[in-house]
Amino acid sequence: MGVEESLGLDLMQQSAIREIANIGLGNATTSLATMTGRFFNMTVPFVESVRLEALPALLGGFEQLTVGIYMKVEGDVPGYMGFLMTWESAQSLWQSLLGQCPQTLEDIDPLASSTLLEIGNIINSGFLVAIGDMTNLELRSTPPEMGADMAGSILSSIVTEASMGDFTALSIRTEIFDESHSFEGFFVYIPSNGGLQKLFETLGIATPIAEEAA
Amino acid sequence: MAVLASTVVGMAEIEIIKGQGILSCLGLGSCIGLCALDAQAGVAGMAHIMLPEAFADKPVDRPGKFANTGVPALIQLLEEAGASKNRLVFAMAGGARVFKFSAGTHSRMDIGARNNIAVLESLKKLNFRLRGTETGGNLGRTLTFNVETGLIRVRTISQAERDLCNLRG
Repeated sequence: MGVEESLGLDLMQQSAIREIANIGLGNATTSLATMTGRFFNMTVPFVESVRLEALPALLGGFEQLTVGIYMKVEGDVPGYMGFLMTWESAQSLWQSLLGQCPQTLEDIDPLASSTLLEIGNIINSGFLVAIGDMTNLELRSTPPEMGADMAGSILSSIVTEASMGDFTALSIRTEIFDESHSFEGFFVYIPSNGGLQKLFETLGIATPIAEEAA
Repeated sequence: MAVLASTVVGMAEIEIIKGQGILSCLGLGSCIGLCALDAQAGVAGMAHIMLPEAFADKPVDRPGKFANTGVPALIQLLEEAGASKNRLVFAMAGGARVFKFSAGTHSRMDIGARNNIAVLESLKKLNFRLRGTETGGNLGRTLTFNVETGLIRVRTISQAERDLCNLRG
């Protein structure tokens, strides 16, 4: 299911979302590089809509050990943002930031968890800032939470919280990676229907979204 | 060795199997996997429940999504497949809080815990009890149910697969 099918987004709206992701990803990689002293690439921001159910496959399967950092977004465009990476990617980040890395889940100490929470915060905030800059809408993030577990349980827990309200089943997948490809991650964004509409209105590209049972 | 057909029960889905096969919920986080069996009729089912209660102001598109609609829907589908209500036995797993690390305090509600309570209440209302349960905690779980043997197993990232209970036992 593409963005167009699920949301009825027109070309302008698709390109606006792509542009926001582009800028957001740029913000995120810059901050990440400054913090880690490493060089990061990003894929040409080809923003695609992936059904959240399809994401576990990209992370290596439902039971693949995955680290997820997510936060709730409040304000004009409420929703959820999450950044997901494989365990190996998380280990690579830990190694470069702390000079050591947890070998098992039990090894994740407060220093290790707060380090990755901060990385997640930086990446997610990059997108928030991009939306804010483009639209002047007010967006606030809540403190991030992190989990390290099966890809399926991480993702379904995010989806579940989002499915309690009127949220669009939109997810944006983007990729950030370093030169040796030892780090790779996916960004997921789940805006509320009303918030997405407001976003498009602010940009002057709103079209009435057809009422549709989610 | 013959490989049994395995049916993965996705979020908000309910699957029914007659005879033999394996039902599974992969990577349960805050969701609950609820298994049911009528051993005599050889009819089994599994529901992948996401939330405690359907929204009062919205139509329910998929009854399996909510505990209060999913439990009766699972039972109805089992009956339609030939199961008898008074022979049904149940087991469940899931309802964890996988986002255990946080910069501040956990301010949000624990959906997993609420799901657990909601499924228990829905079962109780219909006078059913659980043969086996493993809920809560911080670990995501994969739940498998071998319909022919009745064996229900749970595995997590850090623990090897182990038996939860046997619905034929």
